[in-house]
Amino acid sequence: MRLQMNRRNFLGASAGAAALPFLPRGARANTPFTMQSAWINDAEFAGYFIGIDKGYYADEGLDLTYLPGGPDVIPESSIIAGRADLSLTTPDTTIKAIVEQGAPFKIIGAQYQKNPIGIVSLAKAPILTPADMVGKTIAVPPVNTISVEAVLAINGIDRSQVNIVPYSYDPTPLIRGEIDASLDFTTNVPYTIETMGEEAVSFLLYDFGFTIYNDTVVVTEETLRTKRKELVGWLRASRRGWVENFEDPSLWPPKWMGTWFAGTGRSLDNELFFNTAQQPLMESPAGYMAMTEDGIAANLEALARVGINGTRDMFDTTLLEEI
Amino acid sequence: MAIDLWRRHTGLRNALVLIALWEVVGQFKLVAGGALPALSAIVRRLSVDWSDYPGHIWATLAASGSGFLIGNTIAILAGILFVIFPVLLRVTRGLNIAIFALPPIAIAPILALTLSGMAPRITLAALGVYFVTMSATVIGLSQHDSRTADLVRAYGGGRWQVLWRVQLRGALPSILSGFRVAAPAAVLGAILAEFGGGGRWGLGTYLLGSLGRAEPDRIWGIGLVATLIAGLSYGAFALLSARLVGTSRAVSLNPAAPPSLQPDTGALWYRLALVAASVALPFLVWWAFLRGLSVPAMLGKTPWDVIRYLFLDPTSAQAQARLLAALAQTLPITFAGMALGMGFAFVLAVSSRMLPEFTRAFMPVALITQTMPLVALTPLLVLLLGRGTSLTLWVTVSVTFFPAYVMMAQGLALVPRAAVELPRAYGARAWSELRLVAIPASVPYVFAAMRLTAPRALLGVMIAEWLATGRGLGNLLNQSRGYLDFNMIWTVAAVSVLISVAFYQAVLIAERRVLARMGMTTTE
Repeated sequence: MRLQMNRRNFLGASAGAAALPFLPRGARANTPFTMQSAWINDAEFAGYFIGIDKGYYADEGLDLTYLPGGPDVIPESSIIAGRADLSLTTPDTTIKAIVEQGAPFKIIGAQYQKNPIGIVSLAKAPILTPADMVGKTIAVPPVNTISVEAVLAINGIDRSQVNIVPYSYDPTPLIRGEIDASLDFTTNVPYTIETMGEEAVSFLLYDFGFTIYNDTVVVTEETLRTKRKELVGWLRASRRGWVENFEDPSLWPPKWMGTWFAGTGRSLDNELFFNTAQQPLMESPAGYMAMTEDGIAANLEALARVGINGTRDMFDTTLLEEI
Repeated sequence: MAIDLWRRHTGLRNALVLIALWEVVGQFKLVAGGALPALSAIVRRLSVDWSDYPGHIWATLAASGSGFLIGNTIAILAGILFVIFPVLLRVTRGLNIAIFALPPIAIAPILALTLSGMAPRITLAALGVYFVTMSATVIGLSQHDSRTADLVRAYGGGRWQVLWRVQLRGALPSILSGFRVAAPAAVLGAILAEFGGGGRWGLGTYLLGSLGRAEPDRIWGIGLVATLIAGLSYGAFALLSARLVGTSRAVSLNPAAPPSLQPDTGALWYRLALVAASVALPFLVWWAFLRGLSVPAMLGKTPWDVIRYLFLDPTSAQAQARLLAALAQTLPITFAGMALGMGFAFVLAVSSRMLPEFTRAFMPVALITQTMPLVALTPLLVLLLGRGTSLTLWVTVSVTFFPAYVMMAQGLALVPRAAVELPRAYGARAWSELRLVAIPASVPYVFAAMRLTAPRALLGVMIAEWLATGRGLGNLLNQSRGYLDFNMIWTVAAVSVLISVAFYQAVLIAERRVLARMGMTTTE
């Protein structure tokens, strides 16, 4: 796939050039670089916000534009369309797209070493293992259906024994007992359920054989060839951001209530809960954003069990080595 | 005195009763254990959250306002062109219907990727208003009083003079009634695109962030603010048209039918060529859109790609099977929902004539169901009705009846006074007057409403399937997005448009037969 300079890019580039004389001196040399996020602004992306606020990306010569995601945003599409240089994705959809559609993607890093998605249920009717899901109604966002099907397959449960319905990211049906469990970020929704006066329990899909990363850092092969220096810089700045964030997970979110988090309608307590809960899922002996050989092998093995046959060359760890 | 005042403001009274009922239901958590919060709780929450709102409201207003302006400008210009050059209307027929029938949920993510910034929202808002205003313009322009035109011609006025002095003025009430429907549609389009487009600001984006927090009072608050914006725009155009209709309605009955856009004239080869062009144009535009924006091949599928995917690839059999299974779930319920929505609209239009104060009390409720984003309303409906067939039917009725009602009410309101006065002079009661004159006279509008409703019925079903039931075409579309199956996304979008066009065409054929028998003309 060749990336062409279309009219929009051209306009953007000329507008950028026109604005150049007015920028402060330090910003002049920076290369424009765009990342497509996977979700609306919340603590899940704290490391990147710190990197932008403290100028870690600028230190790498990057002028970073951050595009928020959302339930209906397909992050991979942004890099295919050339709207972003880099995207945070779920590895199952990314690898499926490479295998089945020949999508020219490479995975160059991973934010979550353990995928935070899990099955969340109420403590008074707990679902603690995949076996407990039999005969139950589970609400699953359509994007994640293959993940749940994977866990069912790995644990030898017939797909037809579980009733999967669409999930609209609202825990109310769960609390009202309309559904028995939902698939959501275990770093997030248990907080909401607790504020509604119920106790939540959950298990990670990761702990039951679906050993995949999440928020994998994905680029097109074209970008990998032409912007290698920028990508390494992005990884380095992002790692610095995450290190800074976890030195004190309660330090940064309060500063963003009027900026990054403005208008999301989420409370500070929710972000603090999230930021604290995600730390163990992101840590790796090899550092934040890392991908180890064992980790990659575990990803490929889990995906192979649901018929997504990825290969080692879909992951490129050489940029991480350059950090 | 007090009783007199009370009687005169029955509409207000009914609204107050409704609000009081809402408050009681909310306070005692009578609906689904508190899924419908009390109005006071919603207002309290609004004041707590108020600092969040200005940015979101502004983004939604900017997008829907620009879309409304652009879409309506194009629509009125197109309507005028179509009336002057009826052949254009025939050539662009397929395209017009296709634009109208595009399921916004299918194209929102595609627009978000091919355009940038606010453009996807503006485009979706503009697409939402185009067809309504365009057809209102054409109806208004072609149904002018031919006697006035004769007068202008007798004094030496040409085609442009007639257009300017007679047709455009005569069309104003119709265009304004189009605006009335178009205004909430623009707000909805913008909000729907916010769901697909990412970005940080806009009521749709705000709603997204709030859905996961299980706070019905806030979700209702956002919905009510969206409703207020849409309701105010609707009210403004309703007021304007009430002012203007009074001065432009025919005072006496014109016995001659207006010179209409004669369908299907010319030699056979000519007619066939026009039909072929009309069918080919939407596909050409589809292809040109992808080419013009240089959308990467993996993301943007051409008509040929879709045909290949469905019929020529090794995986075609599997793709066909998935599509047919989805259609078998979607189509029956679409027909049922459409019938219910039309019936409801008809009852409402008749009752608005017979019992105006009932309608006035009902209108706020109707507007809420129209402008409250279905994504916010659906969780509530799910709690009330579960995830089964009745939910899909309710959602479908709620998206179809409003435009149908506005069209039908317009038809009933525009019955020439002379025709109404005849039965009245013979002492007929209101009901027989309605039965003998008003309803037959407004049959063209009933058919126009039906054509307007058919594609919306399919959209309603798809929205319910996408958001709640996990069945049928809507679910297939949603799931394909999850699997990055761009071929299937384009296929489902194309198939749903084709089905809508087929609906439309079927209604039109029935309409021509019936109206020909009644000596009326089709309002294209």
